Amino acid sequence: MSYATDSTIEVIKKVEALPSLSIEDSSVDYNDTFKLEFFKTLVADMNVISIFNVDRHYRLVKYEDTNVIVENKDVNYVLRYKMSEGDGSSLNISIKLFKAGEEVLAKNYKVNRQDIFMFVSHTIAYDINEFMGESSVEWMKRKVIFSRIVAPKKSEIVISDYTLSYQHAIIKGGFNVFPKWANKEQNSFYYTTLDTEKPTLKFVDIKTAQIQSVISSDGMIVCSDVSENADKLLLTMAIDGQPDIYIYDVNTKQYVRETKYKGIDVGAHFKDKDSIVFISDRLGSPNVFFKKIGKEEVDQMVYYGLNNSACSAHGQYIVYKARESSNVFSKNTFNLHLISTETDFIRRLTATGVNEFPKFSDDGDAILFIKNYKAQSSIGIIRLNHNKNYLFPLKYGKLQAMDW
Amino acid sequence: MKSIVLSGVVASLLFFSGCSDKSPAVDEMAQVPTQEVKAVETETVSSENSVVNATSEDIAVSDSSSSESVSNNTDSQLSMSDIESTLTTVYFDFDKFNIKPEMQSNISTDAKIVTSSASAYNIKLEGNCDEWGSDEYNFALGLKRADSVKKSLTAEGVDASRIVMVSYGESNPACNDKTQECWSKNRRVDFSLLP
Repeated sequence: MSYATDSTIEVIKKVEALPSLSIEDSSVDYNDTFKLEFFKTLVADMNVISIFNVDRHYRLVKYEDTNVIVENKDVNYVLRYKMSEGDGSSLNISIKLFKAGEEVLAKNYKVNRQDIFMFVSHTIAYDINEFMGESSVEWMKRKVIFSRIVAPKKSEIVISDYTLSYQHAIIKGGFNVFPKWANKEQNSFYYTTLDTEKPTLKFVDIKTAQIQSVISSDGMIVCSDVSENADKLLLTMAIDGQPDIYIYDVNTKQYVRETKYKGIDVGAHFKDKDSIVFISDRLGSPNVFFKKIGKEEVDQMVYYGLNNSACSAHGQYIVYKARESSNVFSKNTFNLHLISTETDFIRRLTATGVNEFPKFSDDGDAILFIKNYKAQSSIGIIRLNHNKNYLFPLKYGKLQAMDW
Repeated sequence: MKSIVLSGVVASLLFFSGCSDKSPAVDEMAQVPTQEVKAVETETVSSENSVVNATSEDIAVSDSSSSESVSNNTDSQLSMSDIESTLTTVYFDFDKFNIKPEMQSNISTDAKIVTSSASAYNIKLEGNCDEWGSDEYNFALGLKRADSVKKSLTAEGVDASRIVMVSYGESNPACNDKTQECWSKNRRVDFSLLP
C-alpha cells in the first residue's frame, strides 16, 4: 500500500482515465469452451489489477500477425495470447502485449496440467502489472485456504486460487474449521478440529502430508494469527471455559495468557511484533482493542459501529467488521470499515449483506473478505487504492473462515 | 473413525510464485526463454485422494468410541440415547449468554437427570449461535452460553469435572430457514452424553 495517500479517503478514478485494453486469442488447440473459459479468466484478472479499462469482446486473430486487428486499432493496449498443448497434456501459453500497435512485451508460460490454467492467467496479469510499473499485486499469486460448511458439523478445508476457480479439498470428512497458513511459503497450515473430545489445533505439513496435534483446549481453540517469521501464534483458547488470547511459541511449545477479562476476548492479530489488536466485549458489546504484548493496559481503537466483532491490521490501518443494525426480528447487515490510527477518517468498504473475516494482504494493497448475501457465499477483494471491490462466488456450501 | 483425506497436489502450486521473476524481454523475442512452472507430477507429495493416516491421538479417540459401541450391549446403548433425549435444550436471546428466567426450570430438570439416571456418563455441552456471523466472536458467544449452563448445573449440584464444553458457532444449525423463529432455535446449548 502506498502511504503517500491516506487509504481511508476514497480514491475516485474516472473510468475514462484508465487506458483501454483488448484481449485477442490466437489459440489453435483446445475446444471453444476451454478457450472461452480462459479468455474470461484473463479478462477478470486484467480487471482486478485495476489499471486498464478492459474490453470484454472475444476476438480471434493469428499470433504471428504484426498488426492488431482493425477493431482494436484505437485501443491503447492489446494483449494477444496463444494456447497450445505440449507433451503430456501440458499447457503452453505465449503472450504479446502491444502498445499503440507496437509490441512491448512477450512471455511464455507452461504448466503440466490444463486444469490449473487460472494460475497462468493470474501470473500473466501479475507480470503485466509489473511491466506497467504499478504497485505489486503479489497477492494474486498466493493461495487461499478456506473452510466450507457442507452440512451441520461437517466441513471441508479447501486450497484455492484467489478467485476460487481452482479448488482442491485438502481435508475432507469431519468437522474442521479456522484454517490458517503456518508461514509465508504456504507449505503448511493450522486448523481447528472439533471431532476430538476437546477442540484441538492441528498442524499440517503439505509436503509430507503429516498431521500433528499442537494444543487442545476445553470449549474452543482457534489460531487467529501467525507472526511474520512464523514462530509465534495468537490463539483464542478457553482453558477454563473462558475465551482469552494466548501467545504460543512454536519452538518451545509454551504459551502465555495475554488477556484475563471475564467476558469474551478473541480474534487477535499482530499489529507489529510488539503489539496486537483484538476483539473484546469488555465495554458491553464487541469492539476492537489494542494492547502491547506483555502489558496490562488496553486501548479502545474504534469508536464507530454498534458491534465490531472482527478485525485485521496492517501498519497504521485497521479494517473491522461492524454490525449496522441491532435487530433480533430482521436481517442484519455487517459492513467492513477502514480506519487509520493517524487520522479520524472512517471509510466504509462494503454496502450489503454479511461481510466478515477481513484480512489484509501481506503488502496491505488489498483486503480479502467473506461475503454472505442472499444465500450466496463469496470471497471478496477490495483494492483500497483503486476503490474497487470484486466478488468471486463459492459454488456450494458456506464459507466459514479463510486465510491467504 | 472419521477418515481424513489429504492430498498434496496443491503443494505443487507453491512453485508458481517463482514463475515470473524473469524480467520482461521486450526486444529479444526469439530469446525469450519458456517459463517453466515445475511439473505437477514431480512435486506431488501424495497421490490425489490418497488417505493419510490420522495421528495416533485421532485413532485413540476414534477407537475408544468405537470399542465402546461394540462392548456396550444394545440395552445400555438405548439407555444412553434415551437419557440423552430427556435432556432439554437451553435457548438464549439474541447476542446474549445469560440464562433466561424461563430457561431455569429446564436446567433444574436437566440437573436432576444428570445427577440421577445419567450419573454414569459425562456431559458434553454444545454451544450454538444463529447465522449472524461465523467468526471467532460467534464461537466464543456459543462457548459462553455453554459456560453459563455449566455454572447453573454446578450450582444445582452437578460435579464440574463431569462436564466438557464445545462451541460450534453457527456451524450446527437446528433450523435453516431465514426466520426469526428459526434463528431463535439456533441460539441454544444442547446436551450430549459421553461414555
